[in-house]
Amino acid sequence: MKLAIPILMLCIIAIAATACLHPSGIEDEMIECNLTLIGDCERVLSYDEIRAIPSCEGRGGFFTTVGIVNGPFECKGVSLEYLCDLVGGINATDTVRICASDGYLMVFTRDQVRGDFVTYDPATMREVPHTEPEVMLMYEQDGSPLSADAGGPLRVAIVSNDKLLTEGHYWVQWVDTIEITK
Amino acid sequence: MKATPIVVLVLITAVIVATIFLLDNPEKTELMVVHAGSLVIPFAEMEKQFESQNPGVDVQMEGHGSIQAVRQVTDIRRAVDVLVVADENLIPDMMYPAYADWNVRFATNRMVLAYTNRSRYAGVINGSNWYEILARPDVMFGFSNPMLDACGYRTLMVAQLAESYYDNQTIFRNLIACNFDPTVSILRDGDTTTAVVPEILEPQSEKVVIRGGSVQLLALLELGEIDYTFEYRSVSEQHGLRFVELPPEIDLSSPDNEATYEKVGVDLGFQRFTSVGTRRTGKPIFYAITIPKDAPHPELALEFVEFVISEEGQGVLQEMGQPTVPPVADNPDKMPDGLRGAASTEIAMPLDYTESHAEG
Repeated sequence: MKLAIPILMLCIIAIAATACLHPSGIEDEMIECNLTLIGDCERVLSYDEIRAIPSCEGRGGFFTTVGIVNGPFECKGVSLEYLCDLVGGINATDTVRICASDGYLMVFTRDQVRGDFVTYDPATMREVPHTEPEVMLMYEQDGSPLSADAGGPLRVAIVSNDKLLTEGHYWVQWVDTIEITK
Repeated sequence: MKATPIVVLVLITAVIVATIFLLDNPEKTELMVVHAGSLVIPFAEMEKQFESQNPGVDVQMEGHGSIQAVRQVTDIRRAVDVLVVADENLIPDMMYPAYADWNVRFATNRMVLAYTNRSRYAGVINGSNWYEILARPDVMFGFSNPMLDACGYRTLMVAQLAESYYDNQTIFRNLIACNFDPTVSILRDGDTTTAVVPEILEPQSEKVVIRGGSVQLLALLELGEIDYTFEYRSVSEQHGLRFVELPPEIDLSSPDNEATYEKVGVDLGFQRFTSVGTRRTGKPIFYAITIPKDAPHPELALEFVEFVISEEGQGVLQEMGQPTVPPVADNPDKMPDGLRGAASTEIAMPLDYTESHAEG
């Protein structure tokens, strides 16, 4: 019976660890969504097809209208520019419309698709330049599939090798369509 | 006896779990209040006061741009108990009849030009020369992106109204149009004008700075990286800033000037929300409050609304620099019984502002 105590404690630790390891409570195989890309041609990608594209990673966070900071997070996803290239790419004067399933829309320039944003230091909230910021369509946040509460399964994220913040308006949640307009 | 250690361990674990649970859930009722971003400071005080009078309530305050605030209910379908917006028209336009059917006007605001003692020409700027000061080559100023923030498109309205008020048809061009590429153009139709915002609004020099909202602009102002920013008077006062008061004919504060305000509008470059169009028309600034039809705690929400529009609540708002108006209901018949007596149906005039921080 002396073993009972450590066994019980191990069980408790295991239960707690399980909860920590899967905070979103989502398994990859449960996720079903389609992403429509519109450019010179139109393509529809499934979640699995998006996951099969070479991924990129970085750290980034955002702040809300009233200055509440979210993140920075460890973000994993696919490059927005790569997705645009799948339907013909973006020219200098094109804009990219990112549409969400809740009716939200944000428009990006080509420079913004390539990471040209005002960036902020999370500690001071001062504007500071960051090296090589990148815009991605994120599907994993802090090692877990992106939950609907966090804007998943697909959400815009602006990341770099540093910890940076950008305005939350650009972190479009629940993305379902990306359209290049001439 | 052999089972005793297990029983003890289980009991200890249960106590620990129960303690953690109770600490996280102190059996308080959570009241979700979603409010306009410009109310963040006064509503933080409202939260404190309401909770002190209602110890069993945990008010959860959440600030958004007003359209985003409404969308939390209509598009995102979150459980919201009380909704407060900085444009009273949004509630009937976006929520009636499915999500709400009444609102109470309770506060107002006005557009000002905020600055600090370090701002260039801080000693000479006033309500008569502000547009000349801003146009000087060495002056930098900012405003929030009209696509993203009501204060931004209201800035474009102020610039249009200024042309008529000062009888100077170059103000919009000198302050706004010439500083953007592609430009913000003006369409004139009789005595009405509309500022047409391009899809992408990019300054073509460092003279004008555009950011998503007040938070970023106030930081730049306080760091001395810009000299002036267009802002709500309440926000300027809450941050201890100096500000130029603009004439009521252009500052969007006065119901007396509603007909004048309606002569200007803004067409936004793209439809950011499916549920709201791209046209914004000049109107006096009035804040309104409502309880969504599917509020999870309607009775508690009613108590909170009663508190906000009560004499006591209005006093709290005024102390925090938020100007109020006597509460006015649009559809008293649809309101909960407890509120009908608290709000009139007559058009109210704004209370006088204090002059403590006003530019003389």
